[in-house]
Amino acid sequence: MADPILEVHDLRVTFDTEGGLVPAVDGIDFAVAPGKTLAIVGESGSGKSVSSAAVMGILPSNAEVKGEVLLDGRELVGLPDDELRKIRGNDIALVFQDALSALNPYYTVGWQVAEAYRLHHAVSKKAAFKRAVELLDKVGIPDAARRAKSYPHEFSGGMRQRVVIAMALVNNPRVLIADEPTTALDVTVQAQIMQLLADVQEEFGTALVLISHDLGVVAEVADDVLVMYAGRAAERGTVRDLFYRAAHPYSLGLLGAMPRIDVPPKPRLTTIPGSPPSPGSIKTGCPFQPRCAYTERVGERCITERPELTPRPGEGDHEAACHLGRRPEVVS
Amino acid sequence: MPGLVWFVIRRLFSALLVMLALSLAVYLVFYAIPTDPALLACGKPCTPDRLEQARHFMQLDQSTMQQYLNFLKGIVAGRSYGEGAAVLHCDAPCFGYSFPLARPVSTLIADRFPVTASIALGAAVLWLVIGVSLGVLAALNRGRLLDRLAVGFALIGVSTPSFLFGLLAILVFGFWLNMVPVNGYVPLTESPVDWAWHLVTPWLVLAVLQASSYIRLTRAQMLEELNLDHITTARAKGAGERRVVVTHGLRGALVPIITLFGLDLGGLLGGAILTEKVFSMQGLGDLLIDSVGNLDVAVVVGVTLFAAFLVILANLVVDIVHGALDPRVSHG
Amino acid sequence: MSSSVAGVVSPTRQALRRVRRDRSARFGLVLVVVLIVVAAASPLLVKLSGQDAFTYHIDLLDPVRGNAPRGSFGGVSAEHWFGVEPLTGRDLFSIVVLGLRTSLVIAIVVTLVTTVIGTLLGITAAYVGGWFDAVLSRFLDFLFGFPQLVFMIALGIIVPTSVPRPLLLIGVLSFFGWAGLARLIRAQARSLVTREFVEAARSVGSSGWWVITRELLPNLLGPVLVIATLAIPGYIGAEAALSFLGVGVPPPTPSLGRSISDSIVWVYTGTDPWFMVFPGIALFTAVLGFTLLGDGVRDAFDVRLRRTH
Ligand SMILES: Nc1ncnc2c1ncn2[C@@H]1O[C@H](COP(=O)(O)OP(=O)(O)OP(=O)(O)O)[C@@H](O)[C@H]1O
Ligand SMILES: [Mg+2]
Repeated sequence: MADPILEVHDLRVTFDTEGGLVPAVDGIDFAVAPGKTLAIVGESGSGKSVSSAAVMGILPSNAEVKGEVLLDGRELVGLPDDELRKIRGNDIALVFQDALSALNPYYTVGWQVAEAYRLHHAVSKKAAFKRAVELLDKVGIPDAARRAKSYPHEFSGGMRQRVVIAMALVNNPRVLIADEPTTALDVTVQAQIMQLLADVQEEFGTALVLISHDLGVVAEVADDVLVMYAGRAAERGTVRDLFYRAAHPYSLGLLGAMPRIDVPPKPRLTTIPGSPPSPGSIKTGCPFQPRCAYTERVGERCITERPELTPRPGEGDHEAACHLGRRPEVVS
Repeated sequence: MPGLVWFVIRRLFSALLVMLALSLAVYLVFYAIPTDPALLACGKPCTPDRLEQARHFMQLDQSTMQQYLNFLKGIVAGRSYGEGAAVLHCDAPCFGYSFPLARPVSTLIADRFPVTASIALGAAVLWLVIGVSLGVLAALNRGRLLDRLAVGFALIGVSTPSFLFGLLAILVFGFWLNMVPVNGYVPLTESPVDWAWHLVTPWLVLAVLQASSYIRLTRAQMLEELNLDHITTARAKGAGERRVVVTHGLRGALVPIITLFGLDLGGLLGGAILTEKVFSMQGLGDLLIDSVGNLDVAVVVGVTLFAAFLVILANLVVDIVHGALDPRVSHG
Repeated sequence: MSSSVAGVVSPTRQALRRVRRDRSARFGLVLVVVLIVVAAASPLLVKLSGQDAFTYHIDLLDPVRGNAPRGSFGGVSAEHWFGVEPLTGRDLFSIVVLGLRTSLVIAIVVTLVTTVIGTLLGITAAYVGGWFDAVLSRFLDFLFGFPQLVFMIALGIIVPTSVPRPLLLIGVLSFFGWAGLARLIRAQARSLVTREFVEAARSVGSSGWWVITRELLPNLLGPVLVIATLAIPGYIGAEAALSFLGVGVPPPTPSLGRSISDSIVWVYTGTDPWFMVFPGIALFTAVLGFTLLGDGVRDAFDVRLRRTH
C-alpha cells in the first residue's frame, strides 16, 4: 500500500457523563492512503461518528481522546486548537450524517460554502462566493449561481447533501470523511452522490473515509474495510477479504443483513438477533458473545477473555478479533 | 414582498378588531362603576339639579352603548360637549375629554408619553446590551466563575420586585450617597444633561432587573444553540471559537431574544407604572393611576387603548422582524 | 419494545433524581418548603410569639422621631421579633408571616386555577383544532393585547369593596394568567398530536376525552409542571406589585407589598429603614425560592419553552 495520508493508532474516546464514564471508542486503528477509500461499517452506536469527530478534534468538552491521529505523519491529538483549526476543513474535511441539521438555517448555502473557503484563504467575500458557486455547480446543483442565494430549507434532501459535500470540498482537502452521506436519500440520489465522491477522489486524489451502514455501497467503492462493534474493531481487511473471507461472526451477520438484488426481497432482512451493547457495559470477554451463534463451539474463552485482532488468511492485513480460529461457516 | 404587505395589512386589520373589542370591554367595565363621576364635577352643594346638569354635560345621561358609539364617532368626527356659550370642542380624532383635568385625552397622552418613552427606551437599550452580552459570556464560560456570577446576578435580579429594587436604589444613591436626583423629570428639549441625569437611576434600576431575564434567556438559548449540529459543522470548517459563538450561535439565539425584547418594550411604553410611581415621574402610568382614582373614565379608556395599541404594534413588529431574521418563516 | 428493557426508569422518576442532584434546585426546594411551612403555620407562629397583627403598641413608639419605633433595628425585642410598625406599633413579625401567607395563598391558588384552565384549553385546542383552535387563538391574542397591569389597577379601584379583595385578585390574575400557559401547552401538545401513538389511539376509535387524558396529558406532565412552578414567583411578584400600588389586599389584612409601600417614607427619612427590610427580605426569599425550584424542575425535565408564534 502507498504511504497512508491519515493514520489512526489505538484511538480511545471516553465521555464523562452523568451516568459515569462511557468508553465510546475503545482502541481502534486504521489508515487510508491518497486516492483510496476506507469504509467503516457497524451498527448504530458502534462509535463510527465519534471516531470521525475525534479525528477532526471536534468532540464536545466532556470527551477525552487518547491515542494517535497522524496526518501525513503529523500528530494531531493534543495539538493546540489554533493549529488544529488550520487543518480542520482544509486538510481534513467532514461530510455530516444529517445534511439538514448540519447546515445553518440562517445563512444561504452560498454563504456557508464561501465561509468554509474564507476561513482558510485570505480572499474577498465576493471571490469566496464565486468559488462557492463554482463548487455548488461542480457537485451538480443546477443553476448554482442563483441557488447559492437560497437557504437550506429550500433544498431537497439530495441537494442539501450536495451542498454539504461542496462545503467539504471547497478547500480541496486531502482527506474526506463522509459520515453516512447517503443514509437519508433515495436510491437513485444515493448512487449520484457516491458517483460524485468517486469523481472527486479520482480528480484530486483525495483519501476517503466512508462511514456507512450500506454494505452494498461499501462493496462497490471501498478498498479497505473496518468493521466496528461496540467501540472496537471486530474485523479489518480489504474489501475482498471482508466479502469473501469474513472471519468474524458479526461481519457475517452484517453480510447476511445486506439487501441483495439477486434474491427476491424478503419482508424483513435477516438481521443479527439482539441489539448492540451500550459502550462499556461488557467488561470481560467478547463484546459480541451474547449475540454470537458460535459461542458454544469456542466455549469459556468468549466469556472470560477479550479477543484481540489476529491475522487471518487473505490479501495483506486481514485481521479479526474472534476466538474462533477458522472461518465460520454460515449457520442459518 | 407583496406577501409581507398583505401580512401587515391583515395584522393591522385584526389589530383594529382587537382594539374595538378592547375599548368596548373597557367601557362596559367602567360604566358598571357604582360611583358617579359626575359627582366630582358637580360642585358643592351638589343639588340633584346640578348633578343632573353635570351628567347631561358630560353625556353620562345617555345609555352606555350610546356613550360608546359617541366615543367611536368622536374619533372619526370629533365631538363637542354642552351647548351655547359653555360648549367644549374636542377635535377629531377625539379620544374623549377629561373633565377633571379639563383637557382632551389625546393632549394628556401626548404630554405624558415622552416621560414614559424616555424611561422605557433608555432602559431598554441598557438592558438589551447588558443582558445579551452577559448571557453570551455566561454560556461561553459554562460552569466557570464568570458563569456562576452572571447566573447568580440574574437570579437575584429576577427575584427582586422592581419597586423594592427601585426604592433601595433611591435610598442608596439618592439619600445616602446623595449622588443622583431622587425624583422628577426634565424634558429632553429643555436640558439633555438634566434629562439624562434625572433618568439615570430609573434606567439602571429597570435595566438591571430586566437584564436578568435577558441573561437567563440568552444563556439558555445559547447553550441550546451551541449544541446543534450546525455548530459542529462550523467547528469542522475550521471556524474559531469567537466566530462559532457569535456568527453561528448567537445568530440563532437572536430570534427569541428579539421577540421578548419587542414585547417587553411594547408593554413598558404603555406605562412604566411601577417605575413611574417609585421615581415620582409623571408618565402615562402615573396619569392612569391618578385617573382611575378620579374615576376619570375617558382618560382610563384612552390610556388603556393607547397601551394596547403599543402592545399590538410591538407584536406586529416582532413578527415582521421574526420573518426577517428567520428565513424559514414566511408571511405569505 | 424498548420499554420492556430492564433498568429503564420513568421520566418523572429520572427528573426527580435530577432535582435531588441539582444543588441550587435543592436549595430552592428547601426554601419553598420552609416558606410554605411558615405560611401554613403562621397563625400558630403568631400565637407562639404572643402577638397579633392588629394590636397597636403606641408605647413602643417615639413621638419625637415622628412615631418611629424606639430601640434599635426597628424595635426588635424578645416580644417583637421583627420590631414594630412605625406609627401604629403593630407587631412586624406577625405582619410579615401573615403577609407571606397572603402572598403564597394567592399565588398558589392562581397557579392552580390557571394551570387547570390553560392546560385543558391548550390541549383541547391542539387536539380538536379547527374552529375551536382558531377562536381560542384569537382570544389569546386579545388577552395578550391587553395592558394587564393597567386593567388590574383599574379593576382594583372600581370594583365595589363588597367583593373580597383576595378573591378579586385571584380572579383577575387568573383571567390574564392562563393565556400564556395555554399558548405554551398548545404548542407542546401540537407536536404530540401528530406522533404515532396518538394517531394509533385515534385510529382504534378512542374517544377524544380518552386520548386527551390518557395519551396527551401524561406526556405533557413535565412541561405543565415546569410552567406552573415557574409561574408561581411571577404571581407572588404581581400580587405584591398590586398591593404596593394600593389596589391589592386592603388593610388591615397584612400584605408584604403594602408594607413595603408604607415603609417608603420611613426609609427615605431614615427614621426606620427596618420597616422595609423585613417584608422586603420575605418577599425576595419567596420569589427566589420558587424561581430556583422552577429552574431546577425545568432542567430536570429538560423542557424547552420556546415562544412559538
Ligand atoms: N456527547 C456524548 N456523550 C456521551 N456519549 C456519547 C456522546 N456522543 C456519543 N456518545 C455515545 O457514543 C456511542 C457511539 O456513538 P456514535 O454516534 O459514534 O455511533 P455511530 O456508530 O455513529 O452510530 P450511527 O450509525 O447511529 O450513526 C453511542 O453509544 C453514544 O451513546
Ligand atoms: Mg453516526
